[in-house]
Amino acid sequence: MARSKAKQDASQSAGEDDIVMQEPPASHQPDLDETDASMAEGEGEEGVEGEFEDEFEEEEPQRVKLLPGSTPTAASFEFLNEGHTLGNALRYVIMKNPDVEFCAYAIPHPSEPKMNVRIQIWEAAGTTAIEALEKGLKDIQDLCDVVTDKFLVARKDFKE
Amino acid sequence: MSREQYTVPTSSQQTFGASGSGGRDYAPESSNTVMYYTCGDCAVRVPLEKGAPIRCQKCGARVLYKERTKRMVQFEAR
Amino acid sequence: MPRTEPSREELEKRRIVGINKENVTDVTSTDFPGHYPGEDHAWDIEKFRDGLQIEFHQNDPLLASFSLIGVDASIANAFRRIMIADIPTLAVETVFINNNTSVIQDEVLSHRLGLIPFKGGREGLDNFLKWWKKPTDDDAVPNYFDYNTVKLSLNVECTHNEDAAPGEKDPTKLYHHAHVYAKDIVYEPIGRQTQYFSGENAIAPTNPDILIAKLRPGQVIDLSMHMHKGVGSDHAKFSPVATASYRLMPTIDILRPILGADAEKFAKCFPRGVIGLEKVTKNDAAKKGSGYEGHEGELKAVVKDAMRDTVSRECLRHDEFKDKVRLGRKRDHFIYQIESTGQWDSDAIFLESIAHLKEKARRLEQQVVNMVR
Repeated sequence: MARSKAKQDASQSAGEDDIVMQEPPASHQPDLDETDASMAEGEGEEGVEGEFEDEFEEEEPQRVKLLPGSTPTAASFEFLNEGHTLGNALRYVIMKNPDVEFCAYAIPHPSEPKMNVRIQIWEAAGTTAIEALEKGLKDIQDLCDVVTDKFLVARKDFKE
Repeated sequence: MSREQYTVPTSSQQTFGASGSGGRDYAPESSNTVMYYTCGDCAVRVPLEKGAPIRCQKCGARVLYKERTKRMVQFEAR
Repeated sequence: MPRTEPSREELEKRRIVGINKENVTDVTSTDFPGHYPGEDHAWDIEKFRDGLQIEFHQNDPLLASFSLIGVDASIANAFRRIMIADIPTLAVETVFINNNTSVIQDEVLSHRLGLIPFKGGREGLDNFLKWWKKPTDDDAVPNYFDYNTVKLSLNVECTHNEDAAPGEKDPTKLYHHAHVYAKDIVYEPIGRQTQYFSGENAIAPTNPDILIAKLRPGQVIDLSMHMHKGVGSDHAKFSPVATASYRLMPTIDILRPILGADAEKFAKCFPRGVIGLEKVTKNDAAKKGSGYEGHEGELKAVVKDAMRDTVSRECLRHDEFKDKVRLGRKRDHFIYQIESTGQWDSDAIFLESIAHLKEKARRLEQQVVNMVR
C-alpha cells in the first residue's frame, strides 16, 4: 500500500530527490498486455535448456583454456571458476579411459579461481587429449542420468 | 514505507521521533539549540542546551547517552 | 596381454579399506585401466548401471539417509560438495534498520536475521524467482523486482503487561514481546509474488521459534529486509542443508570365535546393536576346526548390524581380541545423511545435486567445443 503510494508520488513529482535511495523493491508490475508478452518470452527461454537457464547465463565467457606447451597427446587445460567438485570427478572418469596414460588435476593456488587438468594419451591410442576431455565430460553426464534413474526408483520403492 | 528524513535539530522541532524511547520529555527552559539525550539512570529524555550542565533534570544523574539516529541504516546480513 | 577377469573374492577384497589399530590400508581406488595387468577397467555405462545400488534408510522432508553403492569417492564427494555449496536457496541479504533500541547491535542482529532459514512455495522458488545481481555504484536504477527480491519486515515493541500477576518474575509474562521470534517476521508479497507465495506457499521461517532478540519495555526493533537467491559457496546462510555428509559402510569380520565373557566385552566395544550374542549351536560345535568344539551352549559374538558402528576401533585395543577381528570400510558404499534446512525436501536436494553436476559437465563440454573452434 504505502509503497504503491510512494511510486505514485514519484511519478507525479519526478523532480524530487528523495525516495530513490530508499525505494523498496519496485514491484515489476507492467500493464496487462506487457505481462503477457514478458511471460511468453520467459517460457520460450526456459523451454529449451531447462531450469538452469536464467539471465545468469546469457553468453558465458570462455572458461576453458589450453595451456601453453600442450601437444595433441599431452595437454594441460585451465578451467576458470571450477574447483575440487568437478576437478576430482572429471579426473576420475578421464582416468577410466583406457587411452589415457595419465590424468591429474590441481588447484595451483586457493586464492585464484582456477583449476588445471593435465591429460596425457598413450601415443599408440591415436586420439587426442581434447577428445579424452570431451569424453570425460560426456561420461559424467551419462553417469548422472543413471544415478538419477536409480535414485528415483529407490525412492519410490522405499515409499511403498 | 515512510522513513524519517534526518533534520538538523532546531528549536522548532523539539518533539520529533519520540517513538518508543520511553519516559516523558522535559520541557527545555529556553529554546535555542536543544539536543535530546537519554538519562543513563532513569531513561528519561533530557533536553540540553549548548553550554548547559550535563545533568538529568529529573534525577540529577550525570551520565547521559546520545539518542539513536533517526535515519535508516542499511546492513548486509553477512 | 590376454584379458582376464578378477575373481569375485578378489573384487570383494579390493572393495575394503583396511582399518588397523594405528593405520589404514588400501585407501585409494585401483579400478583404473592399466592398474591390474590384463584387466579391463574402462568406463562402461552399462557396467556402472549394473553395479550401482541405492537403498533408502530414511526419507523425511528434513532428513534423508540412503546408501549409494558402486560409485567412486570422487563422484560421491562431488554430489556432497554440490549439495552444500551450489544449490540455491532464498535468504535474507540486506537489512534496512529504521530503529533498533534493543541491546543487540545492528550488525549482529542483521547477521542473525540472515541465518534464519525460510520456506516457501516450491514452484515460485524454482521457476519464478531469479538471481539478483548486487547493484554496482554506477547502476542508475536499482534492480529490485518481484522476481528477484522478497520483502520482509520485523516490527516489534516491548511493553509492560498490565495483566501480569503481582510479583511475576518471568519476563515473557511480565512484558509483551519480551522475546522476538522468527515468527514475528512478516512477509510482504510484491507484484506477481501473490500468485506463487500465498496461503500454504507463503514465505515464512521454517522454524518459527528461533529467538532473534530479547527486549525490555521501551525497546523497539523496526526494520525491513530483502531476501535474494544465493548459493552456499557465497555464504553459508544460502546452503540448503544443515549437514550433508557421507560415511563409508563399516565392515567387521570376526576371524576366530569370541566366546563367553569375552563376547560380552567385545559387544561393549561397539555401539549398541552392532554386535549380538548368540548361543553356540550343536552344528557349530560339531564343525571340526571352527573353534567352537566343546563350547556348545556358550555365548558367541556375531555381527548384527555393522552399519551402526562408528568404527571407534575400541576392540583393537584389547589383547584378547587380537587376530580375532578385522575392521574395515567398504570403499564404494556411501551412507549419505542429508539434513535439509526446510526450503528443499532433503531427497530433492540430492536429486538437484545430480542435475547440477550434469549441467556443469554439459556446459563445460560446450566450452571445450568452443575452445577448439
